[in-house]
Order: sequence, then C-alpha cells, then structure tokens
Amino acid sequence: MTTLTTEHARAWADRFVAVGAERDTELTELDRKAGDGDYGTNLRSALRRAAVNLSAGPASPHEVFLAVSEAFLNTGGTSGPLFGMWFREFAKAAKEKDVTAAVLGEAATNAVAVVQRLGKAEVGHKTMVDAMVPAAEALTAAAARGAGVSDALAEAASAAHAGAASTEKLLAKRGRASYVGEHARGVIDPGALTVAYFFDAAAPPRN
Amino acid sequence: MSARQFVNDPDEFVSQALEGLQLAHPHLVQVSTDPALVVRVAKDGEPPKVALVSGGGSGHEPLHTGFVGPGMLDAAVPGAVFASPTAYQVRAGIKAADRGRGVLLIVKNYTGDVLNFSIAAELAREEDIEVEIVLVDDDLATDGGDEGGPGRRGTAAVVAVEKICGAAAERGASLAELAELGRRVVSNSRTMALALQACTHPGQQRPSFDLADDEVEFGVGIHGERGIGQRPFGPASELVPALAKPIIDALGLARGDSVIAIVNGLGSTHALELSVVHRELSAFLDGIGVRIERALVGSYVTALDMRGCSITLVRCDSTLLELWNAPVRTPALAW
Repeated sequence: MTTLTTEHARAWADRFVAVGAERDTELTELDRKAGDGDYGTNLRSALRRAAVNLSAGPASPHEVFLAVSEAFLNTGGTSGPLFGMWFREFAKAAKEKDVTAAVLGEAATNAVAVVQRLGKAEVGHKTMVDAMVPAAEALTAAAARGAGVSDALAEAASAAHAGAASTEKLLAKRGRASYVGEHARGVIDPGALTVAYFFDAAAPPRN
Repeated sequence: MSARQFVNDPDEFVSQALEGLQLAHPHLVQVSTDPALVVRVAKDGEPPKVALVSGGGSGHEPLHTGFVGPGMLDAAVPGAVFASPTAYQVRAGIKAADRGRGVLLIVKNYTGDVLNFSIAAELAREEDIEVEIVLVDDDLATDGGDEGGPGRRGTAAVVAVEKICGAAAERGASLAELAELGRRVVSNSRTMALALQACTHPGQQRPSFDLADDEVEFGVGIHGERGIGQRPFGPASELVPALAKPIIDALGLARGDSVIAIVNGLGSTHALELSVVHRELSAFLDGIGVRIERALVGSYVTALDMRGCSITLVRCDSTLLELWNAPVRTPALAW
C-alpha cells in the first residue's frame, strides 16, 4: 500500500483508542511511580473524547487525525495538549493530500519539532520526545527507501518502542518525573510508551 | 476535626460557583459552562479595544473570574481546582473576547498554564487573531531555581498586571504597548507569602499539610503546597518584616522609592488581621523611607481556605500609579 486510506486511518485511530484503554492501568502505574499519577486519567478522558469524535465518521485521513488531535487539545494536564499538537501536525500534513510514507515522515518530523518547542524537551529528557524522534526518523528513512505506508509505520513502531525502552534508565529532565529525581529511574516514561502504542495501532494485531 | 465546606458535589464545585457568579453579577459578566468561560458583558457603542484574557486553575477566587469587567479583564478562563484550563478552552476565551484589535493573555507562570495558553495563542494566530502573552512570575520563594527550571511562580502581582493593563486598554493602548506595560509591571513586582494553616481541597477531610501550633510555613504558593521552610510563629510585628525584607532586597527598593502594596489574604484570613498586617507593613516601609502610594488590602488571590497572607510590592512611577487609580468595575474590584 503506497498511501494511507481513510479506512486504514480510521482503523488505526480506533485501535489506538482501544489499546489506550487496555493499557490504562499499566500507564497509570508508570506515572504513579514517576509522576503524579494522573496520566491515565487524562489519557482516558482524551481517548473517550476521541472515540466520540471518531463516531461522527471522519471522511479522510486528515479528518481522522483531526478528530484525535481535537480530543487531546480538549484535555487537561501537560501531556494531553502536547499530544494534541503532535496529532495536529499529522492532520495538517494529510490535508487535501495523498498520505504516503514520505508525507507521514514529514508530518512526524514537524510534529516532534512542535512538541519540543512547546515542551522544551530534548531526546534523553525521559519524555514522549524519546519515542517521537526515532519514530520520525524511521518513517523518513523508510520513505527514502521507497517503502509503503504499512512497512514504514511498522518500522516507526519498532523505533518508538526502542525509544520508549531507552527511557527506563534515564533520569528525567523535563515533565512531572523531573520532580521526583532518582525515584523515576527504572521506570519507562508513559508518554513515550503511548507513542509506541500509537504506531503499533497502525497495524492489525498479530495472532 | 474534619474540614467542613459549602459544597454539594466536589465534581460540580467550580461550575456551581460560576452559576453563582452569574446570578450575582448579571450586568457585568456572561458565564458559559461548556467550555467554562466568564466574559465581560459588552455595552453598545463601546469602541473596540485590545482584549485582556487571563485564567488558570480555580481555587484562587476572586482571581480571575472576579476581575472581569470595565477597566480589567474581558474574559477569564477557569480550569478545575488548581488545574490549568485546556488549550481549546483558552482558545474559546480568546475568540469570545477578541474585538479585532488583538488579545493580551496574562498568564501566571505554571507549566500547565504556560503550555495551554501558549498553544491557544498559536491556534488563535492561525485564525488571524493577534495574541501576545505576558508571563507573571513574582513569587520570590521560588527564585533562584535551576537553569532551565520552571522559574518563579506567578501569584498576587497578577492583580496589578490585570488592573494596570486593563486601564491602559480602555484608553486605547495597542497590543504591543500593553504587552510591554504588563512586562514592566511584572519586572517591578515581587511577592512573599506565609501560611498559618494549609488549605483543604473540596471534598477532602484533611488540610494539604500539617503545621505545629508554634510554627508558620514560610514561602508558600497558592496551591496548598508546602513553602520553603518553617519559622516560629510570632506577633504580626515580627512576621510582616520577615515577609517584606526579601521583597525590598529583590526589588532593590531604596529611600524615596514609591510602591503599590498588595496585602493579600490567602483564603480564610480575617480582614481585621489583614489590616494589622498592613499596619505593620506601613511602619516597616516608613522606617526605610519607601512610600506606599496606594494599597490594596483584602483577599484577592487565594489558595482555597488557606489561612495566611502574601505581600506584594510593585515599584511604581506616575504612569503606573495613574493607571492603577483609573476607574474599574468588576465583581471583586471597583473604584
């Protein structure tokens, strides 16, 4: 598949909403250890809004991404609005355009730049950025090789998982975990893990 | 003893309070609940002006919702108790307040507020609304943090920024002029606070921290968190100079300087106590030759029902003083 269809985008978003709900306890537990424990509550509330927005039947990949983005921008906390702005770049890139791997790579690159500018986080600060950057690089590299959308997204998922795993050993420099110092070492950043789950959701679950 | 409050349902605490504000001040404010906004009632024939929008977590009332009206804010955006409003909520506030001359956002320096107001500003600019942000970071207790850290918190100096910029906006100042004016007020303002007793969140049974009878918590913020340390409790004549001295040092105030003083109750401090605090502050400043040109004494920036007070000094010149004295008519501030 060389471009992202509306059906694929919708299935991707629906799976992300479902996975977020399934993993809620795990993500909350990570945040309880390394932050203030409200990550799961905010994510759940954002995903509930996303499900409502998606049920309105978005008619293009642009509208699918926008439905998810708007749900997060209507959510409190700090990770919610950052995710909202991240998804928003995917929506912008997909507007009136065929969504190829190259378009996704460009979107992911712009999206992480927006998150870094607003959240003032670099790679290695133990935040969502640690998964967003490698995912964007993987998408861009896959597109440069001429990979299709599904292959590029699978590579982004692997890269995001590796990035999320790398946060386990880090000492937080930004975000809530930076307030608890050494207590957060040994805990994967829930924001980075959410990014990995988002790219996982692009492919149907393997049996 | 459990803390008792006038609450029906903690989840409806803020929205029911907003309904009460609307019922009390139908001529000044228009309250909406989804998203939660308090917008100034527009009068026919008013010339368009730069709109002032502020907001943040609830629990600091009368800030900011009580300062909507002529001479101060055009809209306030209240979040849940001690939680930032969402980016879309702030964007809605910007759009509701905008009269085509741009919007000044007055934001207290907290991570969530800064992020959500900044995002809202970007979204509004994409819709061709001019937006500037003035960041208020007056709390001395959080001075001198790490490089790249969150910096000083924003507390009661925000009242001075809203009042002074509000007056200038009524006189037709441009967005750029208001942003510069607001930053000038911030850079000339510092605050210190102390608590005699912590606050209790709606629906909770216990205060957010415990204090012994013979100590006070020095350098508290406005979210029920602990301050920078305990000090012995004592008469007002000892506690007040301990608050004022670091502010004078930080602002470099010297004999002959003029200030606006804000003696602010943190939620359940009696007006008589605040008057005693102001008496001590006046005596202390008099002793070093700093002149209080105008004083605001009362509970304006609160931390729910915290017992305690903050002192804010704003170094002022004739321009700032004149704008401070200009007429204002809001639910919580009017002269």
